[in-house]
Amino acid sequence: MATVLSAESVSKIYKVEGAPEVQAVQNLSLNIEEGEFVCIIGASGCGKSTLLNMFAGFSKPSSGRILLKGQPIEGIEPRCGMVFQSYALFPWKTVRGNVEFGLKMKGKDAASRRQIAERFIEIVGLKGFEDRYPTELSGGMQQRVTLARILAADPEVLLMDEPFAALDAMTRQVMQEELLRIHEANKKTTVFITHNIDEALILADRIVVLSTRPGKVKAIMNNDLPRPRHITIQLSNEFNERKNEIWSHVEEEVRKHVNIQN
Amino acid sequence: MTAKAAGSSALGFQPVAKGGSSSARMKLSMLLSLLSVLAFLGIWTFVTEMHIVKPVFLPSPLSVLKEAASLVQSGELWVSILASSKRVFSGFFLAAALAVPLGVLIGVWWPAKAIVDPFISLLRPLPSITWIPLSILWLGIGEAQKIAIVFMGSWVYILLYTVESTKRVDPILIRAARNLGAGDLTVMKDVVLPGALPGIIAGLKVTLAISWSCVITAEMVAAQNGLGALIWTAKDWGNMPLVLVGMVCISLTVLVADWIMLRLERLLLPWERNRRA
Repeated sequence: MATVLSAESVSKIYKVEGAPEVQAVQNLSLNIEEGEFVCIIGASGCGKSTLLNMFAGFSKPSSGRILLKGQPIEGIEPRCGMVFQSYALFPWKTVRGNVEFGLKMKGKDAASRRQIAERFIEIVGLKGFEDRYPTELSGGMQQRVTLARILAADPEVLLMDEPFAALDAMTRQVMQEELLRIHEANKKTTVFITHNIDEALILADRIVVLSTRPGKVKAIMNNDLPRPRHITIQLSNEFNERKNEIWSHVEEEVRKHVNIQN
Repeated sequence: MTAKAAGSSALGFQPVAKGGSSSARMKLSMLLSLLSVLAFLGIWTFVTEMHIVKPVFLPSPLSVLKEAASLVQSGELWVSILASSKRVFSGFFLAAALAVPLGVLIGVWWPAKAIVDPFISLLRPLPSITWIPLSILWLGIGEAQKIAIVFMGSWVYILLYTVESTKRVDPILIRAARNLGAGDLTVMKDVVLPGALPGIIAGLKVTLAISWSCVITAEMVAAQNGLGALIWTAKDWGNMPLVLVGMVCISLTVLVADWIMLRLERLLLPWERNRRA
């Protein structure tokens, strides 16, 4: 498999005037292979969002390099499409308008924009809602629009920053199932950030555990639960064995984090 | 807690279920408003018709109504309203045409802010009336001078509202747009402008009322026609009913202007329809 996205000894230090420097990420190296679904998991403040923002080109590493297909990322990178936790939908555009936005940026003509948008709106199960505005939709529906918007733009890599964290537990399960279905159909390379071990085990091919600040790779686990998966996999013994294993890595970091807070 | 709850319900705060449907409450509230106005008019009529208050201090509602009727019949009222409206519209439009683009620029590009800031700080505290001497010296007492007063009284507010709403555009939306491949121009046109538009329109609504007070002031000082001049000449003749007619007309005209702005807002911001409902 070919490496699509990689971090080479990346460090990120935040400097705020009048405050001590914060080292969010330290000497982190990670390769993301084509077509794989990687979940990055860690306690709050472990620098996982910082890492994702560097993958998207929203911020630059203080040292080290981020490479997309062997080329360093300079500035915001449309080939790494981001799904934000807060949806980031344009409130003044309808569902259709939002989903067509990336296609418009690519210079696609109106007819093919409409056709592609319709296809992805259907994939995320929002057929019939094309002309609604985001504020008229529930949180789960809004996040589906974001998903359709990014899938329609067809980036090389999907970056997802705790996309389901703001949803209630039941909607969240439905969304995980939808994402599983979509990923298994298109095998889009995905980096997914979460602090939910269950979510990581349901979705990922590989799970990367980050240590608490400064963020470093603490452990990488191949998640060999069989595909195609269904969320009922949570009830299996294999699932719980893996969950225990990940927790053994994460627990120490969470305790450290809580102590720092105290 | 119980005592508190009982106290608040005595003030009229009741759970919706107890107070009946909201449409019933709306009818009741309209009835109350109507009664309140009728009571006011009743007291006014009583004290003036019974000569408890002399007509030179406060004319009776009936004489105000008569004055209004004759003014409507002669067509003079429409001429005045139209004259003032034209001035407000011209000055307000010019102010918006300058201040909205400038405000967006200041909101996104710091050097523009540095250049314009000192002038804003100095001009903002000046009431538009202080521009009357200079504007008469430069422009005479014609239309241009009235428009200038409206302009000077309006543009700073429109600018401040625009700058503020431009800055408040959620940066994550700009990030999202860039992440989808948008360049600077697209970000401006498709994200910053529509993002700031609700705030800009809110600012225009507030400023429109300010523009009206500017034109009335300018017309009171030096004008042949318009609602401000109508009131001022009526005062010179000692025609108090006419003064009151002028005042009521200003209120009604500004209310109509507000209503037009509201329709315009709904037309321009279809995505806010849900929030308003």
